[in-house]
Amino acid sequence: MSLPDWIGIFSLPFMQRAIIGGVLFGILGGLLGSFLILRRLSLFGETVGHASILGVVLAALWQLPATWALIVFTVCFGLGVVYLIERTNLSTDTILSITLSGSVALGIIGLTFLGGYRGNLMSILFGDILAIGNIDLILLLILLVITLIGLFLSLPDQILLTLNADLAKVQGVPVQSYRYLFIILLSIAIALAIRAVGVLLVNSFLVIPAATARLVCGQFIPFLIASTGIGIVSAVTGMVVSGVFDLPSGPSIVLVQLIGFLGSAVWKSIS
Amino acid sequence: MNSSLSPEAQPIVSVQNLTVVRGNSVAVDSVSFKLFPGTHTAIIGPNGAGKSTLIQTILRLIPASSGEIIILGRNGRRLGKLAGAVGYIPQSFPFDRHFPLTVSELVSLATGKLGFWDIGKSAQKKRQAVQQALTQVNLQDRAKQRIGTLSGGEIKRVLLAYCLVVPRRLLVLDEALAGVDATGEADFAELLAKLKEKHGWTILEVSHNLSLVSRYCDRVLCLNRQLLYQGSPEAAFTPENLLQIYGSRVNPYCYHYEPTRLDRYF
Repeated sequence: MSLPDWIGIFSLPFMQRAIIGGVLFGILGGLLGSFLILRRLSLFGETVGHASILGVVLAALWQLPATWALIVFTVCFGLGVVYLIERTNLSTDTILSITLSGSVALGIIGLTFLGGYRGNLMSILFGDILAIGNIDLILLLILLVITLIGLFLSLPDQILLTLNADLAKVQGVPVQSYRYLFIILLSIAIALAIRAVGVLLVNSFLVIPAATARLVCGQFIPFLIASTGIGIVSAVTGMVVSGVFDLPSGPSIVLVQLIGFLGSAVWKSIS
Repeated sequence: MNSSLSPEAQPIVSVQNLTVVRGNSVAVDSVSFKLFPGTHTAIIGPNGAGKSTLIQTILRLIPASSGEIIILGRNGRRLGKLAGAVGYIPQSFPFDRHFPLTVSELVSLATGKLGFWDIGKSAQKKRQAVQQALTQVNLQDRAKQRIGTLSGGEIKRVLLAYCLVVPRRLLVLDEALAGVDATGEADFAELLAKLKEKHGWTILEVSHNLSLVSRYCDRVLCLNRQLLYQGSPEAAFTPENLLQIYGSRVNPYCYHYEPTRLDRYF
């Protein structure tokens, strides 16, 4: 591929939107993912991500605007799962497993009622970052700004509650409110990322960059920066790979993230 | 020992007829006591006596079923703005051993700032406060290490440093040294006593080590769901009282206190 071809690809509006989206997803995923993995919520993200198939199907069945419907669905689903975890004496992974299976089952059954829509199953499962629209970008930017302001104002409290909730409560940290806010932010982020990376892989943009950063960082601020940086680089690299080799965008991004993770793990074990 | 036990002094903590029901059982039954400024009080009692429940209820971690708790003149469901004046060292401090947080980062969380988030004139002052706090607990050399590399006793000293960074009036320790060896326990108790004198703390702690309690505490609350006795350790630790509190299984002086290495902390 010659240089003009490259420039040609990146001058296309949808590719530019995809690159901007990738950068925003990378930052958001890196920041939220850092707390997600330390709070042992990785499986929660996976569950909300997979359950979104039900959200997509419901939006299509009732002909609702996809992005907004999915945001409402993931937030309600996320809070519902937290409610079940708090109100039953079953372990968290059991509740997550039940809600994941249940919602995917309902989603697939719902899909059978959408004859013409079934062709889009691949894009629901694996996403298409090139399909990101301007509204998606604006929503993503708003969510990122809210996350950044929230983190700037409450970072020590967030770290303390991640480390030990009782100590945080005694120190006056509104632990329960912060937990719910985090779940809401996480759910909206997942809803916005579904179109780009699909329901099967959406959790990877939260988990893998943060996990890679945690392997190599011992201090919190460098960990947060590394997680965000890895998120950005892997999203942009993945998209370029996807665009150039005509591969599905979600799996391409995850592949780049995975290579980074494995590279860090090997480097860490050698050093 | 402290002399500020005058009847005029405002209590730091005042507990009136506190009852806590957990599940179907009464964990704490009609307990009343007051803690006055500068005192060091130990709650003793057998396992399941409600000691941790009492502490956690006072700290608003568990709701009270009935009764009243006033901390630093405040009575409410939350400590609110007074939370910063209360230090807490929990019985267990479980955390991910690979949590990417250094010792100095953990201690600096008490200042409400972290790393480059801290900009402005007070930044240098806060960094110094963190360094000084770590020096007081003899962990200044471990400042840059990940918290997961520390031993159980060292983690408790880091939490003590966390309490030192901002002025505290009340320090609550819930069997803070469970799992720490005897020497580490004695060292910590001596360090705590020294810091208490220096900073004028009022301390409420749960302890199983009666020899350390009799050495450092000026007041004992003997709890077995109900408050069986409150007063000085000397008066509390009579064979009759101990028999009533613990039954026949107690051997309170099985651990002999030895001179410690206090000097290295200062």
